[in-house]
Parts: sequence; C-alpha cells; structure tokens
Amino acid sequence: MSMVYTEEYLKEKLIKELDAVHVEVRDESDGCGAKFSALVVSDRFEGKPPLARQRLVHAALRDELRAVHAFSQRTLTAAQWRARPAPAP
Amino acid sequence: MSVTNIDTVDNFVNFIRSPSLAVVHFSAEWAEQCIQVTDILKELSKLPEVQSSGSKFGVCDAENLSEISLQYKVDSVPTVILFKNGSAVDRVDGADAAQITSKVRSQCGAKDLNNASQQPLEERLKALINKHNIMLFMKGTRDSPRCGFSKTIIQILNGTGAQYDTFDILTDEEVRQGLKTYSDWPTYPQLYVKGELIGGLDIIKELQESGDLESTLNA
Repeated sequence: MSMVYTEEYLKEKLIKELDAVHVEVRDESDGCGAKFSALVVSDRFEGKPPLARQRLVHAALRDELRAVHAFSQRTLTAAQWRARPAPAP
Repeated sequence: MSVTNIDTVDNFVNFIRSPSLAVVHFSAEWAEQCIQVTDILKELSKLPEVQSSGSKFGVCDAENLSEISLQYKVDSVPTVILFKNGSAVDRVDGADAAQITSKVRSQCGAKDLNNASQQPLEERLKALINKHNIMLFMKGTRDSPRCGFSKTIIQILNGTGAQYDTFDILTDEEVRQGLKTYSDWPTYPQLYVKGELIGGLDIIKELQESGDLESTLNA
C-alpha cells in the first residue's frame, strides 16, 4: 500500500528543502494523492535552466514521487514570481 | 502470418513440437480479455523480427482441449504458453500485453534493438535514446496516446511540424523503469533531442511559451 500524501505535507517539504518563498500544491486526483501539481518559487533556481530546476524539485520529493502517478510543476525565482502578470480573479 | 486454430490434441502436440517458438493462446469464446490477447498475438506475428525467427502462433479453446489445459495447469483464460521442442519455456496468465510482448520477443531470439536478453540494459537505453534526433518516450503511441500528458505533448510536437520518433514505455517494463534511473527522471513522457534529455511536458510547455521550442528541437 503506498503512502497517500497531502497537499500540506508536500508544501511543507518543498519550503523546507528548497528554501521556497512561495509554494502552491494542488491535489489533482480528487484526494487520493496520486496526481499533484506544484508551483515552487525559490531563489535556489536562480541561473538554472528549467531542467535543472525541476531536478531540484525531484530531489526534494524523491521518496514522495515514487508513490505519485503524475506530477506537474512550475518553477520560478522570486524575481520571476514578482514579475508575473496578475492572475485572473 | 496469422494465428492457427488448434482444435484437436494431435494438432496441439504437432504444433508445439517445433524447435522454434510456438505460442499457444488458451482461450474461451465467452471471455472478453481473450479478444485482446488475440489482437496482441496478431500484431506480434507481423513483426519482422518474429517472422524471420520462424515463430508461430496458435489458439485453442481451453474447455474443448480440457486434458491439455489440465496437463499445463491452465485454470483461467486467457493464458498464453510459449513452447519450444514440445516443452513449455514461459507463460503469461491473463491479458498482460507488456509481458506477452516482451516474452515472445525474447524467446524468439530476435537480434534487434528491443531484445532484452541479448543486450545489457544501459546499451539498449542509449541505442533507444539515440534512435532519432527527436525521441519521445511516452505511454501509448503517437496515434493512440494512453495518458493525458502524453497526449498533450504529442499535440505540441505535431504543432511544430518536427520529425520525431516515439517509444511506448507501456510495452517494455524494463525500459520503463530503467530509463527513469538512467536519466534520473521520475516521470513520463520524456523528450530527448540528439540523445539529451530535454524534460517532460512541463518543460516543453515552458519552451513553447518562451518561444524556444523550435530552436531546441532543431538543435
């Protein structure tokens, strides 16, 4: 039986492992914990291409990703996050 | 080449006697999964590496040939048993496409890109990654993607007009797990350009949004 992870758990882990200033984690699988999407904002990503950034996220969630079926992510630096256009209401 | 109907015990005995691979599908009319297995075997029988190995495919009704079913302990259908020289060398219980495919391929001793028993895994992976300038490892095929992410990435790639090749990781468990370790990337789809991992759907989407996708593909 694989572990079921909550949004809160993953969010906390990402903040801790990546010194993230902003994290959003969404369970896309109706609560069964099999499919997640994440937005991670951290200055650890500065100067790194998307592939390297995603690897940092994978490393932070190495054990958890084994149990998850699908995972999508957006990785931004603090500066990129601040520069984002305002989201639709 | 197609699938032979085996309707008597004598036919069965003759069928499995051959030194090259004889694949027998124990089937039943009422079992829907047997239709899937029949399709899988038909497709496999068309593969050039299978044809050149002289392998043959047969189907028998498990209930009609009940003494054979008993002898080989076939207690559910579909069951696929692989024979050589009259002895069973391998089997798959249930309609497991990936297992049936990989066992038939390795038993027919085909010497090609996908033969697990003849090539160490790392070499196979390297060869597969470099099979085409743009290589996509996905669930399903270009025309029938089997997951949302794979489907979306195909749409994006098709939109660029680039030439690419695909590999269905659902047909090969060894490649499916091995590639995750080899490239240190936990999910599919995975896109490689000139042998180098570009990333998955997220990255392709980002490249598309930033306008860098075409230049990355044509690198």
